[in-house]
Amino acid sequence: MIRLGVDVGGTFTDLVLIDDASGAINLNKVPTTPEDPSIGVIDGAMEICDMAGVAPSDVRQFFHGTTIATNIVLEHNGARAGMLTTEGYRDILHIARHKRPYNFSIQQDLPWQRHPLVRRRYRLPVSERIIAPDGEIHKPLDEQAVRDSVRKLKESGVEAVAVCFMFSFLNPEHEKRAGEIIREEWPDVYMSLSHEVIPQYREYERFSTTCLNSYVGPKTASYVRNLDLKLKERAFRAELHLMQTNGGVATAQGAVERPVTLLMSGPVAGLIGGIWASKLAGYDNAITLDVGGTSADIGVAPEGRMTMKHLLDTKIGDYQAMVPMVDIDTIGAGGGSIAYVDKGGVFRVGPKSAGAVPGPCCYDRGGTLATSTDCQAVLGRLNPDNFLGGRMGLRSDLSRKAIQDQLCGPLGMSVEEAALGAIKILNHSMIQSIEMNSVRKGYDPREFALVAFGGAGPLQACELAQELAIPLVLIPPSPGLTSALGLLATDLSYDFSRTQIQLLSKPDIDRIATDFRDLEALAAERLEADDIAPEDRIFLRVAECRYQGQGYELRVDVTTDPSAPDFIEKLIEAFHKSHDREYGRHFTDKDVELVNVRVVGIGKIPALKTGELASGSEAPDSDALTSTRDVIFEDNGKPRTMSTPIYDRTRLKCNNRIAGPTIIEQADTTTVVPPGFVAEVDRFGNLLVKLQ
Amino acid sequence: MAQTHTDLTTVVRALRDAYGDAWSFDIVDHDMNNGRVKVTGQLRVNGTDVREAGSANGNGGLSIGEQLEFAANDSLRRCAETMLGRSLANGGAPAATPAPAPTPPPRPAPAPATTKAPEPATPLKAERAPAPAATPSAAPTVAAKPSGADLDPVTLRVIGGAFNAIAKEMAHVLYRMSYSSIIRESEDLGCGIFDKEGNELCESDSTPMHIGSLPWYIRGIWKRLEGNVNEGDVIIHNHPYYGASHTPDLAVLTPIFENGKMLGWAACTAHLLDVGGAAPGINVDVVDVFAEAKLFNAVKLYDRGQRNEEIWQIILDNVRTPDMDSSDIEAMIASVELGRERFLKLVGKYGADAVMGSAYHWMDYSERMLRAEIEKVPDGEYHAEGWLDDDGKNRDQPLKVNVTVKIHGSDVTIDLTGSAPEVETGFNVPFEGSLVVACNYIIRTLLLDEVTFEEFIPQNEGIFRPIKVVAPKGTIFNPNFPRACFSRFAQIQRVVDCIIQALAPVIPEKATGGNSASLYFISYSGFVPERQQYWMYLEVDEGSYGGRFGKDGMDSVDNLVANTRNNPVEELDMHYPLRNERYELRPDPPAAGQWRGGIGIVRENRFLSEGYISCEADRHYERPVGVFGGEEGYTGKLIKNPDTPNEESWPSKITGAKMAEGDLMRIVGPSGGGYGDPKARDPQAVLDDYLDDYITADIARDTYGVAINTTNDTVDEQQTRRLRGA
Repeated sequence: MIRLGVDVGGTFTDLVLIDDASGAINLNKVPTTPEDPSIGVIDGAMEICDMAGVAPSDVRQFFHGTTIATNIVLEHNGARAGMLTTEGYRDILHIARHKRPYNFSIQQDLPWQRHPLVRRRYRLPVSERIIAPDGEIHKPLDEQAVRDSVRKLKESGVEAVAVCFMFSFLNPEHEKRAGEIIREEWPDVYMSLSHEVIPQYREYERFSTTCLNSYVGPKTASYVRNLDLKLKERAFRAELHLMQTNGGVATAQGAVERPVTLLMSGPVAGLIGGIWASKLAGYDNAITLDVGGTSADIGVAPEGRMTMKHLLDTKIGDYQAMVPMVDIDTIGAGGGSIAYVDKGGVFRVGPKSAGAVPGPCCYDRGGTLATSTDCQAVLGRLNPDNFLGGRMGLRSDLSRKAIQDQLCGPLGMSVEEAALGAIKILNHSMIQSIEMNSVRKGYDPREFALVAFGGAGPLQACELAQELAIPLVLIPPSPGLTSALGLLATDLSYDFSRTQIQLLSKPDIDRIATDFRDLEALAAERLEADDIAPEDRIFLRVAECRYQGQGYELRVDVTTDPSAPDFIEKLIEAFHKSHDREYGRHFTDKDVELVNVRVVGIGKIPALKTGELASGSEAPDSDALTSTRDVIFEDNGKPRTMSTPIYDRTRLKCNNRIAGPTIIEQADTTTVVPPGFVAEVDRFGNLLVKLQ
Repeated sequence: MAQTHTDLTTVVRALRDAYGDAWSFDIVDHDMNNGRVKVTGQLRVNGTDVREAGSANGNGGLSIGEQLEFAANDSLRRCAETMLGRSLANGGAPAATPAPAPTPPPRPAPAPATTKAPEPATPLKAERAPAPAATPSAAPTVAAKPSGADLDPVTLRVIGGAFNAIAKEMAHVLYRMSYSSIIRESEDLGCGIFDKEGNELCESDSTPMHIGSLPWYIRGIWKRLEGNVNEGDVIIHNHPYYGASHTPDLAVLTPIFENGKMLGWAACTAHLLDVGGAAPGINVDVVDVFAEAKLFNAVKLYDRGQRNEEIWQIILDNVRTPDMDSSDIEAMIASVELGRERFLKLVGKYGADAVMGSAYHWMDYSERMLRAEIEKVPDGEYHAEGWLDDDGKNRDQPLKVNVTVKIHGSDVTIDLTGSAPEVETGFNVPFEGSLVVACNYIIRTLLLDEVTFEEFIPQNEGIFRPIKVVAPKGTIFNPNFPRACFSRFAQIQRVVDCIIQALAPVIPEKATGGNSASLYFISYSGFVPERQQYWMYLEVDEGSYGGRFGKDGMDSVDNLVANTRNNPVEELDMHYPLRNERYELRPDPPAAGQWRGGIGIVRENRFLSEGYISCEADRHYERPVGVFGGEEGYTGKLIKNPDTPNEESWPSKITGAKMAEGDLMRIVGPSGGGYGDPKARDPQAVLDDYLDDYITADIARDTYGVAINTTNDTVDEQQTRRLRGA
């Protein structure tokens, strides 16, 4: 099957076209067109089909990663949204959790007050009330008030509507009825009902997520529909799928209805691409490191599985969104991170970044502040004549000057020492993040491979691996395109959940069974609409539990059927294990409370295959060695200049083996192999680097 | 040559008699040369400094540590003699170790160290030689600390980052694992790593009142245990006259040892639901500290790794919520054990010297940064005062808060002299654990605002060094034992607010209008016969900020020293016999100003079965001030069964009042004061206030001078100009 993956980034749109049958891979990179990203997408897609010699109608899958929803939120330019809510609770979005983001600040802004998702004038209370614990109706819905409110919102120029009633997760009747009335009064308004978007308790988080959905809804829906139309116009017949933040892809229809699932999906494709590359090379446990200009995304995937963030940790910019999100840590460390000495004499690197413009000094675009890329340049790690595939020259003299002026004096170090120091500091923030996400969750990095990609990942990966005692570094063939590849390596995935609070000491097993069945039916319906054959459907059951009295639940995989006599026993046991892994303790004498049940419906997409590299001997071909230059490495804490051979990655073959120090260059990145390491090329073109 | 020990008691008594608590002593330098130890100390009295060096040698078989102590004491004596202008006769008695009395030591000198004999001398820069002999109520002697000057900037930075990570993780474990909603949903907790003397290396960024209080717990514990601290101990502590913040904030601590040498402490505090006081949950009107709670003064839950079951039993038999309390304590133990483990790992990697040296370097860094900002504020004495409602028993007898902020160079003194005398209820403030912490908080926040100050300045001991707090003994801010001091939040909030008001004229762009500067801390409880236990829910109802330069005040948010999270209504109603019926902004207009004051909340909770309610709050009497022409804010209200014939207006402090099934409590939070002239408020902002239902068109016209055309919702520019006299 021929598949096309398109990943829209801040500066570039990356495209990958793969032909399963022949294993041929075509790559393309076009500038992103921010006014209408679909322009870049379509142009790039047409180009790549041309390059591969295939017709658009031959493409069977079209998977797309877009930041359109995320950008709307980060730039605060979403729809003018209105909300119907329970009388007496008009300001839940404004009060949030009444906690300031910063302890020691009087001047801070409260983002949810400063940039409200729904302005107070459009938050209209209506009389209704559902109560705990069973969802009884305490006050009936005032339908006339609903009508009047909808009309008022319509007249005010509101563009999208949300309905958020208290306790709707216990009883959605009032929200459903309100939804019907809205449809009567205003048939084509973009509408979100909280029990449909996220039927879980905790009113602020549910209201915020629902309003976010309406906030990003109209623009995202319009983008998706527009893209879909254009694709059809160009004779693409493949169903458009979009990357979600839960690690799966959604159809265009799914994305239009619940665009909140697209939020923060950017780094996820990279993680999936990294896991896929790792599995292909034969390593199940992967830590992925994607380093770009401003930030680094770090993911930990034991046994190739992505882990999910806790629902109370899922944030989109400044807002709370209670959607399942793959656990990726994004830190302010990248190629453009600025190295400086602060007023108090502390040596810092980042999170301030020079971005792409003006960028590092050596880019000669007007940047004057020393960045980590400048440090790499003065250490000789970057090729001054062949940067970005020869498209750019590198002015390392400008780097040297900046480091000399800004760092050497205050630190009392030479240029080389300061450069090595800055890289070390940058590395340590990544090390900390990797540790926090692995060691501290009970995973041993010594059992993992470190997959490094992005423009700057392969520069530092080996040094990181050494610090963390990770035995293998893996650099995929095209590190700059790992995200686009990741799009093609993922499956369809839909989350359905329901709050159902009960103690497992006195369980209502029927209710659990019914909920799982209902949620599975919803998932099956969705996968059916996506044309996934029943044999390609997988349903995962998850129970979210906690000890009675705790406030935070943990995910537990449910592997036994509710009808089994030991169902509850096994569930409780699994929860104790999960708690122990997370916190180091568990309590067999405490009652366990089930909080939410969840079903993940997966539609399996055929596995991604790539072609193989030509075989060679251990020694690389003579034309693979392009030059030799002086590169500075750290030796016992001191800078040491070593004459280092430089290789062209495109000329390496399977089985080639190169001992460090060496540098392997390619158009989209540079791989640094320090002394003591050995790099090998496998049949898929991966670089496998190990400490000798 | 025989050496004479300094009789510290004599010296300290002399200084006390002369200067009360207004003196402090610090070590500024030490030196070892040719077998002679020299220590230079600095005595500071009311802004006057005196430095004298003391010395010692190894005669008499003194170890390096003992020589250092000797020299330090010698230095103190010489300083005191110079300052007092007379000789202090030395009786030749060895340094005394009297029984500890529950009085706070003078500020800000660090606490005494271990009684263990220190290791043989190695170059002093690289090793901390501890000063022996805990001498409570004496000017503590402090040994040399590694300065971190030998460490390269990269390692310093890396270790600094690691400290942060450790504290964060400790907090993460604590609030995810804990049971009571006051800890886990509210995040009312604090965790950190401290050196042996209690100097703070790092702390979690949870709630401000916990942060910065643990050093005092540690120093208080030391008074009781005096060096009897061993590897594997787990200690609990809540005694307010021995450094605790207040009795419900229990600290759990474990010492960190490496190769038999004590490096420091992993510690955390959190608010326990019930600590066995006279009333369930919150105690305001109680007769003394014994009535407010069960007191735990440096009690070992684990002794050298051995769990002391009888102590657990005693604790749990004497609190109303034993299940919650024991689970929370377990969570706290997990947190400190994790902290210790992580810290030892760091030490294992870099070595104790490098780690501790790095820590002290970071403290110096934070101190340096804060001092630089203090220097920028003009020297002088700045004054503000406020009135608290009453003590919770003697109604309608307001209590004065009198604040003088003295800036001298890079030092700040906050003087509470002139404040109300101590009261007969629990409405007193533990001096170190609460008042000092709050003062440290606001100076840091005003001058090193986390958001506007460009660098990340770690919160550690260094921040506390430039700040001194003075409160005469016998005032509400420095009560005499055994006065109860359970309910101290409103008072310290008010002190913080007064400090802001005092400094407003000289740092107007950093100040705010009057803040709500209180909170509603309410306990709802009832007894469940089937479980033979109480259900209890502690609620923190937020306040609001005054307007500030360039921005409106923050609405409906925990104010100043408070920063907890609320509980979702949908969680509460599911678990307690309560029903919330309203939770939104109060329907009154905000205090007017060029930048308006923040708006408080209104919350209504109904009891579905009978129970009790206690409340610790304030701000029913005096309105938050308006500044630079802004309007005053609004006071808070507590109303039982509002809008019914049985409506009762309640004062801000209630202890154990009975509530019947069906009774409703309405809480209305204070609104902050305005900043600047309302007539200068941007007319567009006034229009937005009107459209968002915060104000009426009449208010827009009369107060703000903005004419709004209500038919098309626009500003009538011409009319507005006329109204504003432009």
